[in-house]
Amino acid sequence: MSNDAVNQTRRRVLIGATCAVGAVGVVGAAIPFVGSWNPSAKAKAAGAPVKYNISKIEPGALVTVEWRGKPVFIVRRTQAALDSLKKVEEQGVLLDAGSNEPQQPEYAKNPERAIHKEFAILLGVCTHLGCAPMFRPDVGAADLGGEKWQGGFFCPCHGSKYDLAGRVYVGVPAPLNLEVPPHRYESESIVVIGEDQGA
Amino acid sequence: MNWLTGIWQWVDKRLPVQRAWDTHMGKYYAPKNFNFWYFFGVLSLLVLVNQLVTGIWLTMSYNPSAEGAFASVEYIMRDVDFGWLLRYMHSTGASAFFVVVYLHMFRGMMYGSYKAPRELVWIFGMTIYLVLMAEAFMGYVLPWGQMSYWGAQVIVSLFGAIPGIGEDLVQWIRGDYLISGITLNRFFALHVVALPIVLLALVVMHILALHEVGSNNPDGVEIKKNKDENGIPRDGVPFHPFYTVHDLVGITVFLFAFCFIMFFMPEMGGFFLEYANFEEANNLKTPTHIAPVWYFTPFYAVLRAVTMQIELGPMVLTAKFLGFIAMAAAIAILFVLPWLDRSKVKSMRYRGHIPRVMLIAFAAMFVILGYLGVKAPTEGRTLLSQIATAFYFAYFVTMPVWTTTNPDGPKSKTSWVLCGAFAVIFGWMGLEYIRGDVPVFLLVLCFLLAAIFAVLPLLAARDKDLEEPTRTQAKGLPAIVVLAGLALFIILAVVPIKAVAAEGAFHCGAVPCDAMEPDLNNKESLQRGAKYFANYCMGCHSAKYSRFERVADDLDIPHDLMEQNLIFGDQRIGQLMEIAMKPQQSKVWFGVAPPDLTLVARARSPEWLYTYLRNFYKDETRPWGVNNRVFPNVGMPHVLIGPQGLLECGAGPKLNHHGGALRNDVGQVEVDEHCGALKEGKIKGTMTTAEFDAAVYDLVNFLEYVAEPIAVKRQSIGMYVLGFLVILFIFVYFLNREFWREIH
Repeated sequence: MSNDAVNQTRRRVLIGATCAVGAVGVVGAAIPFVGSWNPSAKAKAAGAPVKYNISKIEPGALVTVEWRGKPVFIVRRTQAALDSLKKVEEQGVLLDAGSNEPQQPEYAKNPERAIHKEFAILLGVCTHLGCAPMFRPDVGAADLGGEKWQGGFFCPCHGSKYDLAGRVYVGVPAPLNLEVPPHRYESESIVVIGEDQGA
Repeated sequence: MNWLTGIWQWVDKRLPVQRAWDTHMGKYYAPKNFNFWYFFGVLSLLVLVNQLVTGIWLTMSYNPSAEGAFASVEYIMRDVDFGWLLRYMHSTGASAFFVVVYLHMFRGMMYGSYKAPRELVWIFGMTIYLVLMAEAFMGYVLPWGQMSYWGAQVIVSLFGAIPGIGEDLVQWIRGDYLISGITLNRFFALHVVALPIVLLALVVMHILALHEVGSNNPDGVEIKKNKDENGIPRDGVPFHPFYTVHDLVGITVFLFAFCFIMFFMPEMGGFFLEYANFEEANNLKTPTHIAPVWYFTPFYAVLRAVTMQIELGPMVLTAKFLGFIAMAAAIAILFVLPWLDRSKVKSMRYRGHIPRVMLIAFAAMFVILGYLGVKAPTEGRTLLSQIATAFYFAYFVTMPVWTTTNPDGPKSKTSWVLCGAFAVIFGWMGLEYIRGDVPVFLLVLCFLLAAIFAVLPLLAARDKDLEEPTRTQAKGLPAIVVLAGLALFIILAVVPIKAVAAEGAFHCGAVPCDAMEPDLNNKESLQRGAKYFANYCMGCHSAKYSRFERVADDLDIPHDLMEQNLIFGDQRIGQLMEIAMKPQQSKVWFGVAPPDLTLVARARSPEWLYTYLRNFYKDETRPWGVNNRVFPNVGMPHVLIGPQGLLECGAGPKLNHHGGALRNDVGQVEVDEHCGALKEGKIKGTMTTAEFDAAVYDLVNFLEYVAEPIAVKRQSIGMYVLGFLVILFIFVYFLNREFWREIH
């Protein structure tokens, strides 16, 4: 039993090495189980980019397009509506007038939060707790602050307010502007929601 | 570390963690001479865990409804990331479970592990086996393929054989007038919730009972009878670490075999996943050949072996009922094995000659029954299954005769009656079939067995058990003895099988299949095949489990090209490859709805498809003016008439079973004037024969791809996994050797 110490070292090294190799195996075996929770091809196909012909939208009107199971609002803004954006800004009631929070792709980080000013494309999910805000283009609506209301979105769940570019008001529960989903224009009249502009 | 110790002590005072560990691992003393056969217990535990975990993951994507089950399995195979791997782990695991359980049971029979004081261990084990069969059967129904459906139909109908209540019982099990979605739902609930709970509880009982009495070993020695001054068995080693490191070696080798099958041959030649099960369940059409999955076939063969009926006055016991009884008895008799074996000696190492030869013959007969259960019955096979069934029961029923310790036991009146009865049965079988179309070898076997059983009491009286040692001996017997036993087993199993193995029909209708070796790495061939498929097939046939996008990505077809040339209508590229034609309409036009082709290459075979598509010929009697030599009276028109033209029947040689030309007594080739060969007809094709064959090759190659799009990647992942297991083996091998260095 003189080589006891040697045995102990060798034994520890072997145990450690085997455990290490075994751990690699366990991690490898976990890959299919973890990986299978990713969106499947079916989910990906259902969440694939959506094409929409915007030339049919009446000026001032809103259409709702479904993308990844969520409502996407497309508003065709009139000149008056675009002018109202500045007025709201001047009122100083917006939380993030400059769209500094990353709630929009880079190409939509502008006062109108759009690629083409005329069309606001917004995810219709309130940033407070996920209700779908209502479209309230009626300027001066008595229930939304009367004179001051320049048209926008109002969330019926907890009373959050947004302007026509989806910018959130101060003093409401919602913390962020409405999200602008990734989108690009395939042509003048066809917009693809879910694919980034560029390249 | 102090606070960790604190928490540990706090818990251990309230929960017997340390005690449980000591009882079952750290201070559980197992005999030190466990050999190869002792791996299968831990392996069945490993497979059980695999089944539970993969099963839980499969239910996340599976849809247990008659409408959605089949499609959801293909969804798992194609659309879920790694879903194919989870499913193959589960399907290969099911078969692996039975492999290890059968070997585990054989080990028990060989070393007498069922004998006192381990009767309860055996009974719990047998109950596990019984529940496992129910679990596997219900699991096989879930994919809702043709074999799922018709297997369920046959097995559930078995209960209809019970006189009086049978039909009502069957209806109650189905919950419907046929096997339907209702049946599927309840089988799903039982398969994923109820039976696994029962199984786990039984496994716990099996292990608790074992650890109470201690493990047996190849010598059948009770190590607890020989303890040292500290109360530790002299021939025992603590389970942990000695058998944990030991089992790691076995586990690694097992995983290598398991992964090899799973990654390179997941269907295992139709034994693990039956080909017909790649076709969706159809309650109006039975597959041409139904066989249960291999692990049920021994008992299925027993069921079919019973062909006689017994008339008892007014009551008639039908063959159906008796077959059911025989099958149930074949399983039930295993439960009482501990009381049939009268010997004082446990291990076969110290038994007489008769028990050893009997055990090997029994194992061989079990394999023969398993083989026969897969095959379509012929007269010879029926006789062999009857011989094997009779032997199966004779083994157990006459066991008290040749295992008794009473010197006068073998020659008692009861012994003569028991053995004589089987001698009569074997003899009667031989006489019954003497004029039948059966191999002479089987008749000889009948009379030989009759003779053996007739004199068995005399032989048994001379046979003596050896003296059992008091201490454990070597792990294994000398190689020569092991090999002799193995050789005897192989001879006993293979020779009778060979005698009835003759195959009749061709695999491709009236002709042998033409050779066709798919090449899934040939992207150009697959691209052309995809084009032919879209142009010639997708008018009527869908590939509704596959997505356009996947095909485009796998075959390197750019998306815009795919959209322009291969997708018709307003379908999007991410969608399933469905077609506009409704099955109701097409059924009116063609008589049968054109089947979906996604899985046709797995349900049939590439060879079959390749031969089928090239064997249309002119036949004015058929609605479309064409017939097919591979699929007679097929409802499909000759879609490829443009490129191929229309072949006509001509004279050609008649074929023998092997596909060669049949010759008459003087050696001349016999000619089939009607349709021995196909000749070029009046309508010529745009392609030459060689061009057409190449085009069909591409098309079938594509069908093979689309049937299992992951196939190429599966094999490449498999190479990495096997490589890893080799490395792991090196480490566990040396770890095991390190710990066992001092143990002799």
